[in-house]
Amino acid sequence: MTLSLHHFLMLSAILFGIGIYGVLSRRNILGILMSIELMFNAANINLIAFNHFLYPNQVWGQGFVIFVMTLAAAEAVVGLSLVLAIYRNIKSVYTEKLNILHG
Amino acid sequence: MAALLIGLSLVVVTSRSVFRSAIALTAALGVVAGLFALLGADFVAAGQLLIYVGGIMIIMLFAIMFSHRPAVGLDRQTNDQWLWGALFALAVACGLIVQFRAVYRGVFSTTVSMPTTISIGRLLLGDMVVPFEAISLVLLAALVGAVYFGMDYEERL
Amino acid sequence: MFELGPILSHVFQVLQTWVIGHGVPPLGAWILAKAIQVGVIVLLVSLIPMVLVYAERKVSAFMQARLGPMNVGPYGILQTLADGIKLIFKEDIIPIGSDRIVHILAPMVVVAPVFICFAPLPFGKGLVPIDLDIGVLFIFAVSGVSTIGVLMAGWGSGNKFSMLGGVRGAAQLVSYEVPRVLSVVPVLMFYGTQSLHGIAMAQQGRWFGVIPKWFIFYPVIGQIAFLIFLIASVAETNRTPFDIPEAESELVAGFHTEFSGLKFALFFLAEYAYVFVSSAMAVALFLGGDDGFSAGGIIPSWLWFIGKTFAIVFLFLWFRWTFPRLRVDRLMQFCWQFLLPWSIVNIGLAGLAVLLLK
Repeated sequence: MTLSLHHFLMLSAILFGIGIYGVLSRRNILGILMSIELMFNAANINLIAFNHFLYPNQVWGQGFVIFVMTLAAAEAVVGLSLVLAIYRNIKSVYTEKLNILHG
Repeated sequence: MAALLIGLSLVVVTSRSVFRSAIALTAALGVVAGLFALLGADFVAAGQLLIYVGGIMIIMLFAIMFSHRPAVGLDRQTNDQWLWGALFALAVACGLIVQFRAVYRGVFSTTVSMPTTISIGRLLLGDMVVPFEAISLVLLAALVGAVYFGMDYEERL
Repeated sequence: MFELGPILSHVFQVLQTWVIGHGVPPLGAWILAKAIQVGVIVLLVSLIPMVLVYAERKVSAFMQARLGPMNVGPYGILQTLADGIKLIFKEDIIPIGSDRIVHILAPMVVVAPVFICFAPLPFGKGLVPIDLDIGVLFIFAVSGVSTIGVLMAGWGSGNKFSMLGGVRGAAQLVSYEVPRVLSVVPVLMFYGTQSLHGIAMAQQGRWFGVIPKWFIFYPVIGQIAFLIFLIASVAETNRTPFDIPEAESELVAGFHTEFSGLKFALFFLAEYAYVFVSSAMAVALFLGGDDGFSAGGIIPSWLWFIGKTFAIVFLFLWFRWTFPRLRVDRLMQFCWQFLLPWSIVNIGLAGLAVLLLK
């Protein structure tokens, strides 16, 4: 069967849902960061699919995807350096140990 | 390809060893690069491999390696709110799918793929030059931030 | 006369028409032709590292005033074959404390990209396996995937020293990717295309009838770019003077200590295949690809390409026994504080030159 736009959109919706599940339910901070990367990729698939199917002569979708990728890289870098700084302090990367600001 | 991608991402969010999730994420990002190439975005596919797999995943693997405590390793990876998380995720995914099917059903593509590098270059330096400059500032800030957080506590002050 | 390109495409045409004549649909004939080409590339990728390993041992031996392998076959030609057979039959040890799947996958992740990297290389006129429009970017992107394999190898060994070796190796690989990619940007600026075949084609011709129009002969930009690319490629392939990850006297064998038998053979193959790919890229980007006087058709273009590539490979081998090994922090210093600023300056100069000349 020929692939139509909504197939790709369904794929990215499922990926996004899986990413949300990962963000909300992982204990390991790095696991949360990885699920965030999954969500970024789901959005990217969406953008490229829209570009290919609806506006075949222009490349705005792909240009935007490049920005999203760069931003994801910057965010991952800062997030990971934060994680390492946290690890140095409390020697753990699990979220329930991060309760210094707690009540 | 889509089934492979969904399977890999399920491994990412459910695996007990965080290193295995990272490997699964790397493989998933590779499959996404293939999808991009299939959708006619060759430059973006190569960029995805270069940036995501060759950059982000490597620093993530570094972080995992440096923060690994072998004793604590393999207990459960899900926190106490996993059921609510799963329900919410399911709700979001179903909502999105229903919306997409309603609006975009039956849109087919009829164009042949062309190399996109030149067009992207013209776009980035032409219509999108402001975001281009802005993002270089963002990257500079990220670099400085990462180096700052990596310094020792005494050096920082 | 010996130009392989037209002959090969003619052969494939004949094959396809013969197969179609026997009732196979045209798509099947096309797939068959592509499958044969893929098979040839896989064969090449497996054979070239064997030749390179033999060449390395002989060249190193001659530079050290000894003879090298002489026993197996005439002048030791079959030495690599014997080594390969020995490695295949060695016992496959998987350490207990390691992650089994990661340990088994790591050599594959390191080797698989190399096979793909051979595709955009212009071996001669009409001999490009796939003329990708983003050839240069493609090769760089796929080389980045090998770095993940190095990390996996370090982790999957279950051995702290291997992990350290893997982390150091990956840090070195990632750092030297940056000057490598940036040093190629002036070439792209001048020729306007990322296709290796296109760049090689654009370097045909002579200035004043004598000096070839290769990029390396451009006044300052060409030499700086070539030197930075060469040094960064030596670092990317983990060869001395940058071979901290696998130095025998430092970390035993670094990240591939715990791999035996076929897996070690795969790492070895990947390293030498990457040496060939880097040399081939240097030739295609800076040295004109398959340019050279053809003496009335007797010296075909692919012979020039192979000759020039092996000349650069000889340079790689020569570096190994000429320079002492760099300590790891000085290695990083060299990359970020010397190569990177110079490659950026080079891009600036190239931009100026393009502006003035066009």
